[in-house]
Amino acid sequence: MLDIQTHMDFVGQAKAERWSRLIITFFGVIGLIYGGIVQQFSQTVYILGVGFLISSLITIPPWPFYRNNPLKWQKPVITEQKSQTGDSSDEGKAKKKDK
Amino acid sequence: MHTVLTRGNATVAYSLSVLACLTFCCFASTVFQNYRTDAKINTVRVLVKNVPDYGASREKHDLGFLTFDLETNLTDVFNWNVKQLFLFLTAEYETTSNQLNQVVLWDKIILRGQNAVLDFKNMNTKYYFWDDGNGLKDNKNVTLILSWNIIPNAGLLPTVQALGIHRFKFPAEYSSSI
Repeated sequence: MLDIQTHMDFVGQAKAERWSRLIITFFGVIGLIYGGIVQQFSQTVYILGVGFLISSLITIPPWPFYRNNPLKWQKPVITEQKSQTGDSSDEGKAKKKDK
Repeated sequence: MHTVLTRGNATVAYSLSVLACLTFCCFASTVFQNYRTDAKINTVRVLVKNVPDYGASREKHDLGFLTFDLETNLTDVFNWNVKQLFLFLTAEYETTSNQLNQVVLWDKIILRGQNAVLDFKNMNTKYYFWDDGNGLKDNKNVTLILSWNIIPNAGLLPTVQALGIHRFKFPAEYSSSI
């Protein structure tokens, strides 16, 4: 079966947020410096836009490397007996209805 | 940050915050900039006529005619927080009824990237030089002042006066009507 995972684990979410902040801030600073040198504020805005696109590509889709720290769930408690009795009672009711 | 939409929202919001911060930096880097620069203004031909002002009272008012030379280099005024300049040439003079009269005679828009080295010879005014009475004839002290509005990307909208001004006088006789 095709099993597509679309979630991020908690560590992955923290990582994604930190990377998006870092990338956008970095491109903003570079844009400010470059725009100041060439005296064109539009260049600053474009460079920030590039940073936005790169950050979007890296941190918005749930890439597999954001799923490296899965939660350790407790083992499910085996309640065979209960479920069996439940099933049998359901069956019994169904039978009764049928009759 | 647990779904694509919340992450997208956070990224867009943070990008816009950074953009606002950068815009403020751009404003802060130019807020103390001195935008004044030299301009050479000179009048070539000056006459004054006494004609009916049909735009206002229909009475005969003084109408000045002049041609002027203007030479200035505004290249240094442009920086990354200046989108365009609005130049305007004002005549200032005193009459018996008003201590200060200001009439805009000419204006020009210079966009960023356009030629900012101006050298005009014998230019006509764009707008009529009407006085609201008869204060132009034999006026000994009329001052031509070049000023400009700076239209910025962000921040203040200063009006700057050029360093050079020109004083001239109107003739003591009316020229014959048109």
